[in-house]
Amino acid sequence: MKKIYILISIISFNIEATNFEPYESTYKPLPYSNTIFKNANIYDGDGNEFLETDIIIQNGKIIAIGKDLPGANTLTRVDATGKWITPGIIDIHSHMGVYPAPSVKTSSDGNEATSPVTAEVWAEHSIWTQDPQFALALKGGVTTFHVLPGSANLIGGRGVTAKNLQRNTINSMKFPDAPHSLKMACGENPKRVYGNRGQTPSTRMGNIAGYRKSWIKAEGYLSRLDEYEAKSDEAKELSYKPTRDLELETLAGVLRGDILVHNHCYRADEMAMMIDVAKEFDYKITAFHHAVEAYKIADLLAENNICAALWADWWGFKHEAYDMVQANVAIVDQARNGTGCAIVHSDDEIGIQHLNVEASKALSAGLKAGYSISKARAMKWITSNPAKAAGIYDQTGSLKVGKNADVVMWSRNPFSVYALVEKVYIDGALAYDKSSGFEPTSDFDIGIINPKKRRIEE
Amino acid sequence: MIRNKTLIVFSFIFFTSTILEGSTIVIKNATIFDGIEDSSYLGHILIDDGFIKKVSKSSMVQGDRVIDVKGKIVTPGFIAPDTEIGIVEIGALSVTRDDESNIYDIGFSIHSAFNPNSTLIPWNRSNGITSAITLPRNTSSPIGGLGSFFLLDSKMNINSNADMVLIGRLGASGSSSRAENLSLMEDILSFGLSLNKKDIASDITIDEIIENSSIASYLDLKARDVKVLYRLFDEDLPLIIKSHRASDILNLISLKKKYDLNLVIMGAQEASLVIDDIAKNDVPLIINPINNIPNSFDELASNINLAQRLEKAGIAMMFNVSRDHNYHLIRQGAGVAVANGLSYGSAIKALTSNVAKVFNIENRGSIKVGNYADIVVWEDDPLEPSSIPERVFINGIETDLTTRSTRLRDRYTKDLNKPSTYRN
Repeated sequence: MKKIYILISIISFNIEATNFEPYESTYKPLPYSNTIFKNANIYDGDGNEFLETDIIIQNGKIIAIGKDLPGANTLTRVDATGKWITPGIIDIHSHMGVYPAPSVKTSSDGNEATSPVTAEVWAEHSIWTQDPQFALALKGGVTTFHVLPGSANLIGGRGVTAKNLQRNTINSMKFPDAPHSLKMACGENPKRVYGNRGQTPSTRMGNIAGYRKSWIKAEGYLSRLDEYEAKSDEAKELSYKPTRDLELETLAGVLRGDILVHNHCYRADEMAMMIDVAKEFDYKITAFHHAVEAYKIADLLAENNICAALWADWWGFKHEAYDMVQANVAIVDQARNGTGCAIVHSDDEIGIQHLNVEASKALSAGLKAGYSISKARAMKWITSNPAKAAGIYDQTGSLKVGKNADVVMWSRNPFSVYALVEKVYIDGALAYDKSSGFEPTSDFDIGIINPKKRRIEE
Repeated sequence: MIRNKTLIVFSFIFFTSTILEGSTIVIKNATIFDGIEDSSYLGHILIDDGFIKKVSKSSMVQGDRVIDVKGKIVTPGFIAPDTEIGIVEIGALSVTRDDESNIYDIGFSIHSAFNPNSTLIPWNRSNGITSAITLPRNTSSPIGGLGSFFLLDSKMNINSNADMVLIGRLGASGSSSRAENLSLMEDILSFGLSLNKKDIASDITIDEIIENSSIASYLDLKARDVKVLYRLFDEDLPLIIKSHRASDILNLISLKKKYDLNLVIMGAQEASLVIDDIAKNDVPLIINPINNIPNSFDELASNINLAQRLEKAGIAMMFNVSRDHNYHLIRQGAGVAVANGLSYGSAIKALTSNVAKVFNIENRGSIKVGNYADIVVWEDDPLEPSSIPERVFINGIETDLTTRSTRLRDRYTKDLNKPSTYRN
């Protein structure tokens, strides 16, 4: 009996393996923890709050939310009285894996700062899957994160969206079918990095010229591709297929609308210019990142359907981050009758563990600025809005029947600094449980201080 | 037009109310965390001529101005022990940085570089920080640079305690062994200990001393450096050493014992591994309680529960932050520490009286009779970073809580019919 089982599993593994394209996700959830949470307080991530409500997760999906759900006997019952449940937190700006801990040269792989345009590099090819930061972020409720290359380059390369289920290959962590993204960067960083080497760009006008030149090349490449693909099979045999160009392949993916643009940009005037560049070449900017001055052009962002991924309060570390306003997130959120798309991001290994508190600070500042914003709405800033910006909202980012059961249970209202994550489920499988000590441990953490213990085991 | 007039009248009243320095103020019905007791009590604070004249549990206290805070939490103004306030305006802009010297090392003082008009001052003050210790950047030398204590009251007449702490570092450098750094540190200390008053009587005697000391001449010490080393021992000056690794902490404790140092260790991410030695030798620590990242091979034991463990061991702690500018986020760190087991009273002490005690900041850091009235009235729980002060008093004077940040906020949320550059 046992032998047969092993045989079957090998066969099925082989079949699956052959189905995957290169670099494609091989993600598999952990064993499902089919559960009914009784009497929970819920922020659903879509702007709603439900008090003393039950929620059932089964076979990886959310299957019911409502009062006094019966729930089959086969379900694990979790008494969530007095607890809060939210969707899994999503960080749209992380460098986990590409700037892992410890922060050392040998694994600092986030910036291919050798040329101002490196659209050909993919962040996923830099990720160190044993980064101990993943597990720490999981204890902060983060179930999904989007890793970008750094901001040294005008066009830095492709980003990747991953499930926070630490495994020892990146393919087994990649979010299935999530669109690829492209990191672009405005302002001080590219002009400093390349200007210091006496090469272009050394000014902001050099930055803009750099993007435009790249997009012109991409347009040419795309039209050659389109031309070839439009040919009949016979005509194709008589002509050469355009040689693949990794850099232009990425840029053409943006022009085709397959790859989402995530643009590091602080200053309002520069963001407005980047919107013009996008119009000139007919591509869409999905989100501006950091965007310390987004509040100055909040209406423009809302009109163009561009999200702003922001810190609650970080400022002053460079000139373009000087005009910080704590209500930035709220102002973006409330633009054009509340049609703005605001995201609270971390870009930081500590911040990613406390995105709920960062959202809480941003909410409080918004209330002080005179806006009326509910906590349920503010929860969107770290759940559904980043899910939309990562192109995965149809699968996660809110607690809706049929969606992936990415669920966090908090000890108390998550808009408090005292709230602790008690349980995290990714695709309906328990990934972290505070009370039982069930949690992932990276290889790095094993036996490194005391051979008999994990790194922070007492 | 009418609206403008009322505004002018209001601002006039506000202005006059803040300049009556000689008058008395009563903060009534306050839930007081005084920085001394572990728990709070309901009380009333009388401020007279800049000082706390009376702290009473009965409401009979009288004053020229009575502010009923209706049970809100009142704390001493928080003191940030590790900042760049006043000497760095914009991090990546070297022309706004005054935290380094190319000439002086041990004796480098940042005191005269302090800019009381820095935007960081109103920003941190409006978030509850009433005073701070400003430190220069660490140098390559294991001991180098003096920090000063400043009141964050934005006065051109700077209220400070100059050069009250010496700093240094020990740990991985990436170039030479930490053993070399430790030896150098000991050589410097031993040279400092050998100095006596007549050695530093004049620049001529100092030059002689330097010439006759192999370590002083090797390090190319200047008169300022030597004087500071004399002060280190003569005045028992606090010495903050930034260090993380457990074995380094033990080496520092050995030096403390050998040279009778007033040692403070900053960082100390691996303190939990040598916690008994730290406790036994009374070494206060400045930690970042929210930092649980094993950010280097010196910090492998980083753990979110460090503050709670230090409390259990009876070790005096203070808090810093890992990112610049928002030094007030020591509150958020304290809140995270409480969420992970630190008691609330100890968290408040870490933000107030512990800093005053460790760094000999006299008459500040707690709400008690005779202290300067550095007092914050909070809209809600001060350890929730979403709550901010309603009122901030420094030396008994209520300060303004406007910041450049709130001005920019108002410019982009009010009066929107005008072009932005024509708004307030």
